[in-house]
Amino acid sequence: MIYDIAGLRINIDNKCAYTTRFCQAYVSEDQVSPYDIYATVTKEEFLEEKEKSANFSDGYIENICLYRSICRQIPTLGRMLLHAAVLEYDGNGYAFLGKSGTGKSTHTGLWLKHVPSSKIVNGDKPILQYVDPQFIVYGTPWMGKEGLGCNSKAPLKALCFLEQAKENSIKKLSNAEVSARLFTQVLLPEEEENVIATLDLLDKMICNTPAYLLKCDISEEAVKTSFETLTSTAYEDRK
Amino acid sequence: MKIKKGFVVRVVGGESVVVPVGELSKTFHGMINLNETGAFLWNFFTEEHTIDEGVAALCGEYEVDEERARVDVEKFAEIITQNGFIE
Repeated sequence: MIYDIAGLRINIDNKCAYTTRFCQAYVSEDQVSPYDIYATVTKEEFLEEKEKSANFSDGYIENICLYRSICRQIPTLGRMLLHAAVLEYDGNGYAFLGKSGTGKSTHTGLWLKHVPSSKIVNGDKPILQYVDPQFIVYGTPWMGKEGLGCNSKAPLKALCFLEQAKENSIKKLSNAEVSARLFTQVLLPEEEENVIATLDLLDKMICNTPAYLLKCDISEEAVKTSFETLTSTAYEDRK
Repeated sequence: MKIKKGFVVRVVGGESVVVPVGELSKTFHGMINLNETGAFLWNFFTEEHTIDEGVAALCGEYEVDEERARVDVEKFAEIITQNGFIE
């Protein structure tokens, strides 16, 4: 079956029904024209993943492997996976990043509560495409365990790294600071051309996208702090 | 001393990084940050060279005395050897 994901035609060849249901909102109306990417899972990849995720169903394991296969192929097509929760507000995308457990879903959940017109594009694993001079962030069927996200896209305006703290503050990060933090949040492919393409995309992202460090608690003040800096809008004027 | 094949060096955000590719990426995960001297020495040692040649090359490239250059090259050699990056 061919799907339209992140502006690409992706032919997903799955054996378990899980992925067919999982991706149904992304099925392409055109099943005839050529596709950009073919994704399937070899027996070896499946068994390797099954060893790591013993408690999960075969369908789930195949599904994880399929996304990995897709994401390893997309860098040469100008795209990459980013481990982040991405919100859209007023037509722009904002990516929140941090190690697992730093509160990405808590903080984006606070935005949804306090900034009514904001929505989640993808809660965990969006795909980003570089379209000079900026990145476009796409929702994909893979959006983390909370399953928050939608089939949409938005221009990426800023990266916001999260750290838990007792007081709320936000500061701009230097390129070197962004670099160190960003590398742990992308999937590095194995194949040389795609590794080089990923590094070049990271370079574009670091040089072209403003990035901030938000130290925050779980109060509304935390939302005000990130909202005002990221959107350059007074909190009282939010929609 | 010669660095194994299977790494790519790229400037990302103004800094040089080294990332394994292909088979090497299965055994070594992650990336290596290089400062300017490190990037120079990495490129130099992708061809077979001795430590002495590395010291001479570093002195030729930068305004640095031989003693200091030797400390840098030996430190660099130690790190890449310990990490199994040389052939």
